[in-house]
Amino acid sequence: MARREVIVVENLTKKFEKIVAVNKVSFKVFKGEIFGFLGPNGAGKTTTINMLITLMKPTAGEAWINGYSILREPSMVRKSIGVVFQDSTVDRYLTGWENMWIHGVAYGVPRRELKNKITRLLRFVELEEYGNIQVKNYSGGMIRRLEIARGLLHEPEILFLDEPTLGLDPQTRAKIWDYILDLKKKSGMTIFLTTHYMDEAEKLCDRIAIIDHGRILAIGSPEELKNVIGRDVVYVKVKEDAVPAKVLAEKIIEDGLALEFNIVSGNTLSFIVEDAYRFIPKVFDVANSLKTIILEVKYSKPTLNDVFLHLTGRELRREEGDWKDTVRTRIRMRFRRRTL
Amino acid sequence: MIEARTIYIMAYRQIKRFLRAKSRLIGSIVNPVMWLVFFGLGWSSAFSSPMAKMVFHGLDYMSYLSPGVVMMTIFTASFIGGITVIWDKEFGFLKEILVAPVSRTASILGRALGDMLVALLQGTIILIATFYLAPSLKLSGIPLTILAGALVAFSFTSIGIAIASKMRSIEGFQILMSFVNLPLLFSSGAFYPLDNLPEWMKLLAYVNPLTYGVDLARWSLTGVSQITPSVDLAALILLAIVMVSIASYIFNKATIE
Repeated sequence: MARREVIVVENLTKKFEKIVAVNKVSFKVFKGEIFGFLGPNGAGKTTTINMLITLMKPTAGEAWINGYSILREPSMVRKSIGVVFQDSTVDRYLTGWENMWIHGVAYGVPRRELKNKITRLLRFVELEEYGNIQVKNYSGGMIRRLEIARGLLHEPEILFLDEPTLGLDPQTRAKIWDYILDLKKKSGMTIFLTTHYMDEAEKLCDRIAIIDHGRILAIGSPEELKNVIGRDVVYVKVKEDAVPAKVLAEKIIEDGLALEFNIVSGNTLSFIVEDAYRFIPKVFDVANSLKTIILEVKYSKPTLNDVFLHLTGRELRREEGDWKDTVRTRIRMRFRRRTL
Repeated sequence: MIEARTIYIMAYRQIKRFLRAKSRLIGSIVNPVMWLVFFGLGWSSAFSSPMAKMVFHGLDYMSYLSPGVVMMTIFTASFIGGITVIWDKEFGFLKEILVAPVSRTASILGRALGDMLVALLQGTIILIATFYLAPSLKLSGIPLTILAGALVAFSFTSIGIAIASKMRSIEGFQILMSFVNLPLLFSSGAFYPLDNLPEWMKLLAYVNPLTYGVDLARWSLTGVSQITPSVDLAALILLAIVMVSIASYIFNKATIE
């Protein structure tokens, strides 16, 4: 059965004055899959989402959401999607229930069903008891959960999640992941999400697009992406009494046991191999023949970080943003506390 | 249908928010009461001579001031109400509206309607209070005063929305309030007659929607008018339409860039 394409993006581009934030991005998302944009801050993830949800006009290119053009049929696009933004967009003075209700009426959910739907969704995100409390008393995690529930209220074809767990504690993150996976399992919802967390992309996404400096560098399932590197990575630490580590490494490559080696530090080598289980015993054989002693062997599956490193030559940055962002967030938080 | 729904929820939101914020409710009433009591009673005693009465077109100062303070209450409430779009921008709710499949014009109308009702509620409370302080006011003038108040509120909430849609940050809010609020209040004829003002201030008075609101309210409550009631009404209606159109035009073009 042919899979239905619910998001089709062709050469989407956005320029801000001289900076190209999104550069000729093309991809497709199929019905029922979780598709993720993985990349560092400033890679163009949010800008792409903003264009797809019709809040920004692209400089060039085109995209179709649920078959509707983002340029010519924005209101049909808006009807087809639910959005959970990176920053909260709830009204803090209203209760959770009232926020849901306003959303439901705005999206034309029939009044008869609205009450039941709100109750059911608040139960889904475990906020049922907090429905009548003003949102200003919610925690960050509760607000994010409320926004997910709200995004689902009008039964969109596609749910957009921009950094769904940014700034949340580990337990809340795990909980949000559960909701997202549950949603896919139970309703077959198509989900487009962005993240700069590798673990999040790996845990949730059926397919990932790795994005950096506004360009898509690779698209595939987490497995496919990791296979770009090779199967396994093995680290070997040797005692350099008899021969230098490099000699051992060259012998291993010569024997055709590994695909590639790198010297990580003086006496530690890394090998990219087809199959670590078969490779490791052979390393000892070669070492014996050279009278070299192996101190330590460590093996790991490649991570998405290794993939990012392979594609860009840099590690996927871990920090939350530059210092200006941090200051700005802090000022805003303080201001919020003071005024509200 | 969709339009009516949008207008309804946006108005609902403004009213719910207002009723929830007890401090706003109290603050909105205390400020004009202070004006009436301290400013009003203070100047009333200074202006008690028959000569002074002539300056105020035969009215005692309290009766002259009262319609002005009612309009001031409505003006401030509605203008600040419109400006709060900047808070929605800052705290994200605006995005929820911009991405919803609703007409932007309808959501502006709904918001303006909600702010208008909130401002009218505050104005009406002050209006009732003025009858205790200035017993010579005419009860029959209440309906027309409320109509004038509604038109003033609609205009200024629209101006507020238009300005806030263009503003980039909340830092400008205080400066804006000083630059717009006080000149409009003082040039509106709420506190003193416009007859002998310098020409430039008179000019300001005539482009100020509040002037017509104050004049119409004063005419309905006291019978004294410096313009003409029918001109007041026409000007207020025209201004309300123009202002809401401008607000809707600007808001329709609002993006998040």
